[in-house]
Amino acid sequence: MTWWRALVDAGAVPGRGSTRDEVEAGARADLVEENELQTHPIPEPRIPDPVSFLNGIERWSVVAYDGVVQVVNAYVAAAVRRRDATGGLHTTFERSRGFAIAPLDRMTPMVRQALEQSVADVESVPSELVEQPARYLEMIEATVRRARARMERELAEEALDDLAADEWLVIDGLLSRSPDVARHPRALGVIKSHGAQFLEGRGLERALTLPAGYRTSVFAVRGGHTRTEVYSWYLRLWPWEGNDLLYGLLRIEARAHPDTVARASALSAWLWTERAPLATPATRWDRLLYPLHHVEEYLKARAPRDLQQRASRMSRLPRLAS
Amino acid sequence: MTAIGKVVATELKPATPHQFHFWTATDTSVGIGAIVKVAEGGTGGTGDGGRVVYGVVTEGFAYSDLATPLHDVVGAEGDPTRADEAPTARQQIRYWTAAVLRQTPEEPLQPVPLGQVYVADDADVAQALRMDTFLFSATPTAIPVGLYTSAGRDSPVYLDADFLLGPEAAHLNISGVSGLATKTSAVEFLLASIFAHFPAHKGRVAAVCFNVKGPDLCFLDQPGDLSDEDRRRYERLEVPSEPFQRVRLYAPLKADGVNLNTLRTHPDLVGDVEPLTWGLQEVVDYAEVLLNRDDIDAKADAFIDFLRDRVLGRTFDDGFGTTHRVQTFADLDRFFRAVFDGLEITAGGRSDTWRTHHIATMRKVRNRLLNISTRCKGLVTDDGPSSDLPWNGFEDRTVYVIDIANVDPLGQDLVFARVVSRLREQLERRELGVDAVIVFVDELNKYAPGDGPETYVKKMLLDISERGRYLGLVLFGAEQFRSQVHRRVVGNAGTQVFGRMDMDELATPGYQVLTPATKSKLATLPIGELMIRHPHFTQPIFVRFPKPPVLRGRDGVERFPPAADVPFEDAVVRQLVRLDRRVRPNQVKDLIADREQDDVRRALAAVRRTRPDDVLAYFRKVLGARVEPEALLREHHAVPPLNPISDEPY
Repeated sequence: MTWWRALVDAGAVPGRGSTRDEVEAGARADLVEENELQTHPIPEPRIPDPVSFLNGIERWSVVAYDGVVQVVNAYVAAAVRRRDATGGLHTTFERSRGFAIAPLDRMTPMVRQALEQSVADVESVPSELVEQPARYLEMIEATVRRARARMERELAEEALDDLAADEWLVIDGLLSRSPDVARHPRALGVIKSHGAQFLEGRGLERALTLPAGYRTSVFAVRGGHTRTEVYSWYLRLWPWEGNDLLYGLLRIEARAHPDTVARASALSAWLWTERAPLATPATRWDRLLYPLHHVEEYLKARAPRDLQQRASRMSRLPRLAS
Repeated sequence: MTAIGKVVATELKPATPHQFHFWTATDTSVGIGAIVKVAEGGTGGTGDGGRVVYGVVTEGFAYSDLATPLHDVVGAEGDPTRADEAPTARQQIRYWTAAVLRQTPEEPLQPVPLGQVYVADDADVAQALRMDTFLFSATPTAIPVGLYTSAGRDSPVYLDADFLLGPEAAHLNISGVSGLATKTSAVEFLLASIFAHFPAHKGRVAAVCFNVKGPDLCFLDQPGDLSDEDRRRYERLEVPSEPFQRVRLYAPLKADGVNLNTLRTHPDLVGDVEPLTWGLQEVVDYAEVLLNRDDIDAKADAFIDFLRDRVLGRTFDDGFGTTHRVQTFADLDRFFRAVFDGLEITAGGRSDTWRTHHIATMRKVRNRLLNISTRCKGLVTDDGPSSDLPWNGFEDRTVYVIDIANVDPLGQDLVFARVVSRLREQLERRELGVDAVIVFVDELNKYAPGDGPETYVKKMLLDISERGRYLGLVLFGAEQFRSQVHRRVVGNAGTQVFGRMDMDELATPGYQVLTPATKSKLATLPIGELMIRHPHFTQPIFVRFPKPPVLRGRDGVERFPPAADVPFEDAVVRQLVRLDRRVRPNQVKDLIADREQDDVRRALAAVRRTRPDDVLAYFRKVLGARVEPEALLREHHAVPPLNPISDEPY
């Protein structure tokens, strides 16, 4: 018998592995439903029809060196796919951008000229970090991520303008990227990463040990770069017992409006049904809704071949014939 | 033309010159057997400037992005009733494998391009199946075999007469389970199609069909019930939806020698049935048919040759003081008895050979020959003359049906052997009246089995299969289990047709070339659909054919119930009236009253053979004058058993 068995016998909950999300800055949350964070079972679901789902991808790779200057080929794409009555998803909006990233002012004139002549879309970055490759690449990654976020935001705004009367838009990630999106009555943000904590004390404990099929009370947060206030709550899709505290845990964002509080249980019930089909083989399938996974797979399939897989994940051995 | 799919190739499943893979939308008209076109370059499937490939779908796959079935269980929390509650449908694929039918240009032969896929239209089907070469030539030889109906199309499919009826290739073999494979219906439709489309420059054609099961082929001249859909298909195939205009039916007589041994005895129809009766001369040439494998030896052969050359139809002295002229089975029996008596009495039983032939050999041949007149009484007459097919006057586009369904198996073999032999002889001499004859034989499992004894019938079927096409003698064979028919018989069939097949049969080695999906389709093929293999088609093709325009056997029996056997006198009247409607029944009955039935049968046979203008007068003449009973001490002509004089087993 393992030693931690004694802990379980003493009342601890068994666990396995752990999920680590990147730590993000969090703000204090203000409860807007009840005085203390409570847990609520979700009711019988009612799935709205139609629903659109928005997701995006980013890819980048160093493709050339001008001295120590790393020249990057980047690609971002986002798409909105609408679910029809048969459950099939069809693309309604799609956007992509392939571009180069380089500190133009640090490049040799001939190489810079060649770059500018061969690539229509070049994003210049500051040259201070060129001599520090690791930090330089972190900056590149942040640049690409910003480009993706911008594209998703623009696409979300476009999609919301076109949204049918009863249609909902579910966005992978923060709703509060754009004030327009954050204020829309039928837009939801589904957040899988929990690097930012908004709760503390007993409320946090209740949120992190939320049983499957339950939601927390609604609280107000100021999220994203726009600091637009949104309402948020946690929802557990799968039992965490036997896994880890974040297993199957989603944070939902919706507009800051009393209606959101009134609808929180119904919306949770709907999102609960989106657990199936499982978004496998994605590693975070416990928190990834299949339609959002589907949009991502769609975008991956359409991405340029040379950027379909992160260079860092590829073997550097020469490719052999099978 | 709108693309319905796209060719995809991976390292594990590449496109080759003979096979390719493509995907379609989930909701697609494509299915197993569909003909598709892959066009490289151009727009709308024209393939302008590029390669065009035609293929037939041989396999289909559907799968989703589900990594393991367990994930579905988890998603539904182990409750099958919740498995369909997921609001989003998993991404699915319809993935098809197609076998290449044709590439243009044909050289250089290259892998199928990764182009868009289109459903083939009529022109594409003609191209894909290489039908353009015989459909649009100066002397077309196209015979419609059915409609290609996959993928929502309705395109006629044609066989090449040069490869169906010779001389390039010939013969057709059709397999399938009983009742569902519609083998007989398919052949009936195809015969109608051949008669409608057999090209004039190839001459005249007729068909000889052996009816070996119930009333199957007894009503080919009677119209059947056709649906509007069937009529539309006939129109599309340009085949008249009418029963055969010229049908000649032949059936042996029953043992009474006057009633016909067939199910087509309804008073309205029986008049069209010709009796089929043979005498000694017709039978002895095919004596080999009557001998089983153990009997076939040089001694028996030699004795039969001796009989044929020296005895039959000649004046012959047996050496014991009796002169014979053997023309009937009764004469033959007298001859044998004289020889055996001679050996036993005259030679005192000391000799067991006669003219170098051992008595045991003679007894064996005697038993075999004389047994036929007992076992096939009605077909073979003891002492009557024959009534036969018109060997010198076969008519163009006429079906000759020989109903031997109720004949002893030995008699069936005899009929088959003799008819086919005569057809071959007459075709060789170009004296049959037609240039090509289709012989339809059902139950090939029985007549040409892959194993079992080497019978005369099997040898004959092999001979037709291997050499018939040069003569215009074409075999259309049908059987339930193709794997159990002699390999050379099915192998020589240029055109192979498959109806619904039994799964056990499909598991045999002969079907290994078919994909599992094609086998599944064959095992569940609906009535009226067939899979065709033809020399011009590089892959099997599924077609639908309309219901034959004739009355099906079982429907025919219901609409025209067989009449009960009539008394001897009435049967004689019926036959004479059929030959001459002026004949009065009472006159005939007066004539034959108190006459020996054998005499009446002989007279009747003579009338049938001669077909005089005044039937009654001729009948009266050949029947002869009435003879007083005391003078009529006739010898009994039946074949009594012989007393064994040795331990010989015959």
